[in-house]
Amino acid sequence: MRKSTLSIAVVFIIAVIISVYQVNTQKNYSDLKKQLSVSHILHKTDKVLLDFSLLDHNRQIFDNDRLTDQWTVLTFIYTHCPDVCPTALMDMSAIKIALESKQSESVPQFVAITFDPKRDTPEVLKTYMTYFDKDFIGVSGEQKQIDQLIKPFGAYYERSIDVDGKTVIIPNGADLPKGVSNYSINHTAWLYLISPDGEIFAGFPTPHKPKAIAKDISLMMSQY
Amino acid sequence: MFKTMKITLLLLILSLGAKVTFAMHHQHNSSHDHNVKLTIDEPWVRSAPANAPMLGVFMQIHNHSDNDVKLLSADAKGYQSVELHRTMEHHGVMRMIKQDFMPIAANNQLNIKPGSWHIMLIGPDSVPSEGQSVTLMLNFDNGTSKTVHALVKKGVKMQHQHNKHMGHH
Repeated sequence: MRKSTLSIAVVFIIAVIISVYQVNTQKNYSDLKKQLSVSHILHKTDKVLLDFSLLDHNRQIFDNDRLTDQWTVLTFIYTHCPDVCPTALMDMSAIKIALESKQSESVPQFVAITFDPKRDTPEVLKTYMTYFDKDFIGVSGEQKQIDQLIKPFGAYYERSIDVDGKTVIIPNGADLPKGVSNYSINHTAWLYLISPDGEIFAGFPTPHKPKAIAKDISLMMSQY
Repeated sequence: MFKTMKITLLLLILSLGAKVTFAMHHQHNSSHDHNVKLTIDEPWVRSAPANAPMLGVFMQIHNHSDNDVKLLSADAKGYQSVELHRTMEHHGVMRMIKQDFMPIAANNQLNIKPGSWHIMLIGPDSVPSEGQSVTLMLNFDNGTSKTVHALVKKGVKMQHQHNKHMGHH
């Protein structure tokens, strides 16, 4: 009788340990969420990045491996953007400066992937991105791969062209009408934080608040 | 004879007085219409990479008159074209919408700023560097044009302290 009571107790204790372990490994980051001021935790198993292979602004392969073993702040831009994208890159620069000022912490890498690889070649991106910060990395590549890559982020873009004074929207994936070379792009402008596991961890909506984002990034890096 | 002279002199004095009054009145009106009623503060161009195909120009336009005014167009030398645009957010998607004009309401101001209204310099012959200035001609629907010299600078966030002292005159 005593033996069976003891074995039930042992099984119960093991079950408790296992469940606590599982809760810890499938972190829902509820405590962390309460401390964040401007971030949305996006860490979900259905937000896994598919395999991709693009080119950085030095024409080196930029694939999933480039997003692992370090934290990454990432956004999507296009260089023909006069307002929103320069603002986002200025904000990224301010975030980097704020994180660098806390000398004890590691600083993430900062990456911008173009929505518009047709016009934004690696060479174009190199001049453009390094203007905002010498360490920023611009990424170009195949349009189809970029179109796939943006999906788990919840990012979106569409091209906007002017036809006889009327605005016509060309959804991503569709071809531009023949002879059209001037277009602008409507797009989401969130910044994202990628964990060292190469997964989307958090998002920062517009308008960005660089100092608050830097503070949140520090919290997330320390409590991951 | 003396009576006639007296009347003539009186008429002369009266007419001179009227002329002076009219001239003063006229002068007052004209200066008010064309110079004082629209003022422009802090025009600036956001500094950009050497290969930037587009540049944004920002400023505050104050309309001190009792009539709404529209900014119809802007011109600048050294650019393929200059357009009026507005960034608008719709369900998280930032849309840049070309505008036929920018409205400046009576006794109000329009803040042309990042993430909102902006004047777009398209296709620069060469991208101006920080510290340089870009000369723009702004054309309004009341027939006036204003020349502004917009300083090229980095600033994302504008300093609005200056505005606090800008009352409506």
